[in-house]
Formats: sequence, C-alpha cells, structure tokens
Amino acid sequence: MSPGLRYGLMLVAGLAIGTGTAVAQLRQSFAAMGIENGPWRTGEKVGTADASVATRATVALRGLLALPEREAIYFNAAVDSQGRKLIGKCAYRVSGGTIDARWWSLTLYDSKGYLIPNPASVHSVGSAAIAPDEAANWTVDVAAKRTGAHWIAMPDDQPFELTLRAYHPSRQLRAERGRAPLPRIERGECRA
Amino acid sequence: MSRWIGPIVVAVIAALAAWYATLAATPTVIMDRAWERLAEQAGYNRMAHTPLVTADHQTIVRPSPDLAYSICAFDLSQSPLEVMANPVPDHYWSLTVFDSVTDVAFVESDRDTKGAPIRVVLATADQQVPKGARKIVMPDARGVALIRVLLKSRGEIGAVDAYRKQSFCRPLKG
Repeated sequence: MSPGLRYGLMLVAGLAIGTGTAVAQLRQSFAAMGIENGPWRTGEKVGTADASVATRATVALRGLLALPEREAIYFNAAVDSQGRKLIGKCAYRVSGGTIDARWWSLTLYDSKGYLIPNPASVHSVGSAAIAPDEAANWTVDVAAKRTGAHWIAMPDDQPFELTLRAYHPSRQLRAERGRAPLPRIERGECRA
Repeated sequence: MSRWIGPIVVAVIAALAAWYATLAATPTVIMDRAWERLAEQAGYNRMAHTPLVTADHQTIVRPSPDLAYSICAFDLSQSPLEVMANPVPDHYWSLTVFDSVTDVAFVESDRDTKGAPIRVVLATADQQVPKGARKIVMPDARGVALIRVLLKSRGEIGAVDAYRKQSFCRPLKG
C-alpha cells in the first residue's frame, strides 16, 4: 500500500470516528453536560461562550433558548434513581423536598424533548401546586392514570425524560448543583 | 508497523478535530434552522405572542407548558431593533436575547427591573443608536429575543395576554 493511500485511509477513518463519537455523545441524552446528581444531569455556564463545547451542543439540541443559570438551572433525567431507563410502561413516583429556588417545575418529555399528547393534557407539575405543608416532602406520580394528588400523564410505553426547572435558583443551589438534594425517581409497577 | 505510525497520528488528530468541529458547529446549525422556522411562521423583526404550548403546538424543543412565550426572530442587517418587554404584575417574566450561536447577549427579569419595563436597542457594533438608548451590542445580525411569563394556571392566559401583548420588537426608523 502506498504511503499516500495509508495516510488517506487513516485520515478518513479519523474523521469518521471523531464525527461518530460526537453524534453518539449527543444521542446520550444529557450525559454530555457533565454534572451528575443522582439521576439528574445538568451543566455549567449554559448560554455563554464559556460553556463546554459538549454542553453548548447538548443545550442547542435538547433545550434550545435555555436561560442562563442566574435565571434558571435545568436538571434532566432519562433514568430513575437506580439508573434504569425511564419508560412509559412503568409507573414512577418522584419525591423531593424544598428546592432552593423561587419556583420550580417538573415536566415530562419524549426522548427528543417534546411534550407527549395525552387525553388530560397534563405535562407538568409546578411548585405553585404544592401546598406549603407539603413543600418539604412532596410526591408527584408519573403514570398512565392519576394515582395521587400530583400527577403527570405518561400515556404510552415509549421512553421519556423528566426536566426539573429551578427558576431564580439560590446562590447555594448554583454552586452545589452536583450535590444539592434533588428529587428521587422511584420505579413502581410495570406493565408486561 | 513503523510505516503506520504517521498515518495513525493523522487519524487521531483528525478524529479529535472532527469531534470538536461537530460539537462546535451544532449550536450554529440548530439556531439557524430554528430562526428560519420562526421567521417563516411569524415573520421577523416583530414580536409573536404565541399561544400556550400544547403537545400539538410546539415550535421549539423542550417547551415549558407553564410559560407564555413571546418571541421575536430578528435580523439587524437593515437597522437596529428596539425591544420592549412589558411587565406582568405579580408574575415571573424575563427577556432573553440570544445571538446566532445560542449565546445569551442579554437577560433580565422582573427581579431586576422591580416592575419596570425593559427597553433595549439591539445593534451590531457599527450601528448607531439614538442618544440615551440602552444599546445591546450583538456579534452579528441574526438572533432571537424571547419573553417568558410564568403562569400560575393556564386559565389566566387571558389576563396575562393583556400585559404581555403590549411587548414589542420593531426596527428603529432611520
């Protein structure tokens, strides 16, 4: 094999591997953003040129026009607290306490980041719906049918993701987003 | 084997370069497509006060069903753009301006303004703006200005619309 052919082949192979790795990284939901807190993934410096190239690409692909962190932090989960993929054929209970922010919401999306049609049109639960005496210990059920006071509809069997938005997060939450207490996601019964 | 050392080094460098270039280009490509879609649906250099998000009506990925969005895809190539965000009392609301590569050029919310409206003029570095205007320098001509208003319930959209629909973006007259 001639030297030119060797170099050409390896150049093409390198380009393909590099591009493929980037695409695979972006397909892994929010893992590329770097910060892990239980089942939740988030990033730093969102909306700025200082964010990592992987964070910027992930946000553009999965959360275009996201707010910078002084306004909001976005935590995203594609797995439960035991690391199992979130799928619609299982019921889930999300339980948490006070989130150190002015307001928070939990929203369910399909694996591409879009709301899933459901007869009740229930896609999210926000802190405004949580009574003061529940604020330190609340639960939200994710299931096909309502099972509790706070419920998000998951109408079919497809994989899904949850996004926790914390608007006007405290300075402490911003600084400790990788270890601050965040809601747990527990899997319940699954349909066969 | 030694004949392959050079080509392997080339492959490694090419892989790193391709990985970085793919990730780095992603925001620009996606923002460009989003801008075109927004401009096609609602025009540009005008504020579109979009209906509440539903599963059947989602313009942008990962929309929040708890927010009312007003959006202005802009192009400064002909003139600077004036943007006014009108307060919605007792609600979280914010104005964010994104450049063509998804970076935030400006953001303020009700917490910052303490109930006052936000008035800014978006312009490229070489464009003149009226004296006293609050100029936000954009790195290039295209971008998106986005107003978010948090709803306490979806039923209050009528009351919120009375405030948010006073917000606007419009080219500055020469």
